[in-house]
Amino acid sequence: MRHWTPYLLVAPPVVVLASLVIYPLLYNVSLSLRNYRTGEFVGLHNFARALDDPQFFASLRATAVYVSGTLVIEVLLGLALALLVHRTIRSGWARTLVYLLFLIPMVTPPIAAGVIARLIYTPTYGVLNVLLERVGLIRTDILWLSEPLTAMFAVISVDVWQWMPFVFLVCFAGLQAVPIDTAEAARVDGADGWRLFRHIEYPYLRSLLLLVMVFRFTDTFRVFDHVQVLTGGGPGATTEFLSLYLYLIAFKFFNLSYAAALSLFVLFVTSVAFSVLSRYLGREVSE
Amino acid sequence: MKTGRAKLAVLMLGILILTSTAIAGPGLPPKPAKLTMAVVAGGETKGLKAILPTWEREMGVKVELVEFPYPTLYEKLVTAFQANASTFDLLIADDPWMPKFGSESWLVPLDSTFGYKRDNDIFPVVYDLGSWPPPRGPVPPGESSKARHLYAITLVGNVEFFMYRKDLVSAPNTWDDVVANAKKVNDSSKPFYGFVIRGAKGNPVISEFTPVLLSFGARIFDNNWRVILNSKAAIDALTFFTKTLKSYAPPGVANYDAAERAREIATGRAAQGFIWPAEITDIVENPSVSQVVGKLGYTLAPAGPGGKHAPLIGNWLLAIPKGSKNQRWAYEFILWATSAKMQKPYAMGGGIPFRKSVLLDAQMNKTFPFFKAMADSLAAPAEWRPRTSEWFAVEAILGTHVNAALAGVETPDEAITKAAREIEQHMKEAGYYR
Repeated sequence: MRHWTPYLLVAPPVVVLASLVIYPLLYNVSLSLRNYRTGEFVGLHNFARALDDPQFFASLRATAVYVSGTLVIEVLLGLALALLVHRTIRSGWARTLVYLLFLIPMVTPPIAAGVIARLIYTPTYGVLNVLLERVGLIRTDILWLSEPLTAMFAVISVDVWQWMPFVFLVCFAGLQAVPIDTAEAARVDGADGWRLFRHIEYPYLRSLLLLVMVFRFTDTFRVFDHVQVLTGGGPGATTEFLSLYLYLIAFKFFNLSYAAALSLFVLFVTSVAFSVLSRYLGREVSE
Repeated sequence: MKTGRAKLAVLMLGILILTSTAIAGPGLPPKPAKLTMAVVAGGETKGLKAILPTWEREMGVKVELVEFPYPTLYEKLVTAFQANASTFDLLIADDPWMPKFGSESWLVPLDSTFGYKRDNDIFPVVYDLGSWPPPRGPVPPGESSKARHLYAITLVGNVEFFMYRKDLVSAPNTWDDVVANAKKVNDSSKPFYGFVIRGAKGNPVISEFTPVLLSFGARIFDNNWRVILNSKAAIDALTFFTKTLKSYAPPGVANYDAAERAREIATGRAAQGFIWPAEITDIVENPSVSQVVGKLGYTLAPAGPGGKHAPLIGNWLLAIPKGSKNQRWAYEFILWATSAKMQKPYAMGGGIPFRKSVLLDAQMNKTFPFFKAMADSLAAPAEWRPRTSEWFAVEAILGTHVNAALAGVETPDEAITKAAREIEQHMKEAGYYR
């Protein structure tokens, strides 16, 4: 009995993990190696098909633009705001108010964020065009959701609004770890804002920033909800990211095998990115 | 004494037989505790909800509606059918789902099982929609050898037709009339637009473009499912849609869905456009949200250069899944809900009717000024989406390229060529041909 006890103790999580993660994953692999109609084994045909699919590459390009755009803006803006609040706001209640304000976008469901953004960006009635017209920046409506460039900007902006606060909160928490006397000493020695950040604050934030980038990369690579509501992947296929294309293949074309192959590709990319960044992260932490 | 007991027994038996017939009706099995019906969440069930209390009072059988959002309903139904589950006794299905449900034989045939008799008061297209294999147009591979049966009957007589501001322009009969009307009233400085397009990617823009495409004489498939979309007629239709009509439309229509279209009309900013019945009662003729109540006229979808009108049909059909354990009572409900007797209360309760007698009733047309246009559209005969379970893929492909053309990302020529190529590729993969 004693011999079996450890196995029995770990059995429940192993069973749960196997049924919720391992079985679906293996099923997905099996699906990706078969013809979606007949079920016959077709080897790597579905993966090879992706290499010959212009829509797949178009969605990959759109995803790359989206991921790099959101990642750069969210990290820079979140970090800048964290530094600003850290350096200028000292009062406890004011900081609490800032936290609360920054939490609102994060707890908003992405679908709701998409609907709100759709109303903001709509030509004629949308508040953004009205404001820009009132301050004299534009004379005619900008068609935010019907032009390729502005549609990309619109979907990125929603992600930034919703998830930049996450970067802010993590960075702000990291800045609390910077010893006050070290920062004060640097200031006394004549360090300006940039040097203070580069040599005193940044070393405390480096590993956190990497962690934030890992999370934001995997999240933005799989983005779906607000884009579906806001542009539906349009105009044409200009905001049809990989996840939207995958949805199309699985639930409009009902080609589950090809969808399974593409989903494994998504899994592969996110896993590689995760492991590379995790390795850096591990090195950072151990240093 | 013995005779007395025998008489009493006969009397009791008689009472039992009489009461059971009264409860169940002649030839009906015992009443089920309830009938469970899968329906789409939204305005489509308004009329049904209005008449349900009458059914429950008259028949003593409760009908429980289980509501799902549009995409979820399809998934739930398919899952239940695949498991042959008795979860639902009744369902309402969008008519493009019929090819999948029909080819998989998931529904109970109403004619051969219960002896359903066709009714002259119902438009033939309603029966065509609920029949499988389809009585006209191309038939999916392997389906043409099957015996044709009626599997479903319309509950919601949805069909797309045309609306115009009758206080400003006359009823258009052709696309030329639409353009002439638009030219007459279009004034972007006000702004007031001659035509409003529901142009968002996918289903919205395809619902809008298909009547134009077909009225220009173009088709997507021939009778063998070969793609014949890449034609001069199709390119002309898309050029007309994305250049001429768009020039009279509000800016940004490439992202407009039904809500935006109805809003442009209801706020008095646009003169013409397509419309579905539910948008009329809910928005454009609803005094609490519309500024143009009583100012709109309704007519058949405009005819193209060859004189063809092509209103798009989008009925919701009542059917019985094979897994139901209360099929006979479910059939009774279908007969009752689609009967001539219930059609007026159904329409008055906000339902979208489909019977000629109600749609052409002068009194009803005073209350619902669009009923005549609906009757004309259903009699046209209305065009249906090609009867294939691959329609959703076709719609997604064409909907992407038509939207791209509307947004100016692709030319009409490019859009049609790419769409035709991708649809052909998809039909090949789906096994329609090599």
